[in-house]
Amino acid sequence: MELLNAFAVSLQSVWLDSGFSAFTWGNGVMIAVGLLLLYMAFVKEFEPLLLGPIAFGCILANFPRTGFFDEMGLMLAIHYGIQNEIFPPLIFLGIGAMTDFGPLLARPSTLLLGAAAQIGVFVALVGAMLVGFDVKEAAAIGIIGGADGPTSIYLSIKLAPHLLGAIAVAAYTYMSLVPLIQPPIMKMLTSQKEREIVMTELRPVTKFERVVFPIVATIFISLLLPPIAALLGCLMLGNLLRESGVTDRLSDTAQNSLCNMVTIFLATGTGMTMSAESFLVPETLLIICLGLVAFMGGTAGGVLFGKLMCRATDWKVNPLIGSAGVSAVPMAARVSQLVGMKSKPGNYLLMHAMGPNVAGVIGTAVAAGTMLAMLK
Amino acid sequence: MGHPVTTNPFIIMLINMTVVFIVLISLSFLIRAIHYFDPTAPKEESKPEVAPAPAPEPVAAPEPAPVIEEGISSETVAVIMAALASCGYGASSVHGIRIANHNSTPWEQSTRFQPHDF
Repeated sequence: MELLNAFAVSLQSVWLDSGFSAFTWGNGVMIAVGLLLLYMAFVKEFEPLLLGPIAFGCILANFPRTGFFDEMGLMLAIHYGIQNEIFPPLIFLGIGAMTDFGPLLARPSTLLLGAAAQIGVFVALVGAMLVGFDVKEAAAIGIIGGADGPTSIYLSIKLAPHLLGAIAVAAYTYMSLVPLIQPPIMKMLTSQKEREIVMTELRPVTKFERVVFPIVATIFISLLLPPIAALLGCLMLGNLLRESGVTDRLSDTAQNSLCNMVTIFLATGTGMTMSAESFLVPETLLIICLGLVAFMGGTAGGVLFGKLMCRATDWKVNPLIGSAGVSAVPMAARVSQLVGMKSKPGNYLLMHAMGPNVAGVIGTAVAAGTMLAMLK
Repeated sequence: MGHPVTTNPFIIMLINMTVVFIVLISLSFLIRAIHYFDPTAPKEESKPEVAPAPAPEPVAAPEPAPVIEEGISSETVAVIMAALASCGYGASSVHGIRIANHNSTPWEQSTRFQPHDF
């Protein structure tokens, strides 16, 4: 009898300590969301490198009584890296090391396209405020339109940390859907004649220009907008490591092992912010809708400014490269290339679209810095 | 945290777009300045004043163009298929094999790659 009693008490204790006893319907829904995101990542191959860990983090975050954030351990350390803005600049270090700034340096006028595409950020900001978000939340939501994951996370942590999960998921989901979202807008806003414009070859860029630009840009932007010095500084440092020609090992580490490791931590940690109590709120749906508006607005803004440049340069600029002004490096540039190739086979726009694409990364960071300076 | 400067969304939009444009236009001027002051840039060659025309040297007969068989050899196809199979692609994934333009630039070549976003 005593044995049975002890057995029953032990079983009851195990049950009461288990996650099952504290499992809510909200946890169930969020685990289903995580599984859906896993499906999108691994079966549909929508940004698998990012959505995969985000989805798994979402599932982990919805197990009750894990105590992940109660005492120092791996999960709390990852959370610390996100909460204290450590991971986004490290990702930027890798992006800088992977990115060729040559097309931007060869045709600096494409910076204007990167600036014009930021209109999506502010259209979404206005929309978010009109539906009831406060100004800081609206700014964090608007930056989804920049199509730049690390910057979105960076600004969310600073202005609206409670919305981080929804904003990150919306940003990365729409970035993976760039090949579906952008082409209809690009085609709608341009004529066949405009899409067929063949752009002249870019001038060669010297090593001096490639090395000096990241240094000068860091000094200029960091002095002007100190809140984004960490982001821009890491982007430019990564690019300097790439272009200097004498730091191949560091460049290789930045663009491969370091970037991959930080991607795992950042994406998993972002997923772990998607607990049922913070994600299953009506605001999440609004954020996802506003993110789409931001993306579409940014694409339209870039293409329309591209049309303006097309006219101003006597039909020498193909407006399709304007859509690459939303960051999403390098997918947005590839979309410009694909739409251009469909209109005129053999018309290579990729190198021309990389200019606005890189400008978009800088433009989004500048927009984030300006909003931080104004709103924080 | 202090109070935001303004909460009017349209003013925020106007100010921010203006700042973004000003910063990026300034950057474009910096890029032009770097190009202008680049000491390593190849100088534009001034035309030689009176360069005496060298006596035409006997032009060597061009090497005969290599004879290229039409199509792709079966050995090449076998090597490509082995490489694809080692990457995990089945035969059903291959729609065709064609010779790339060897004169294309690295940028044109890179349009064939499938990277991922950040």
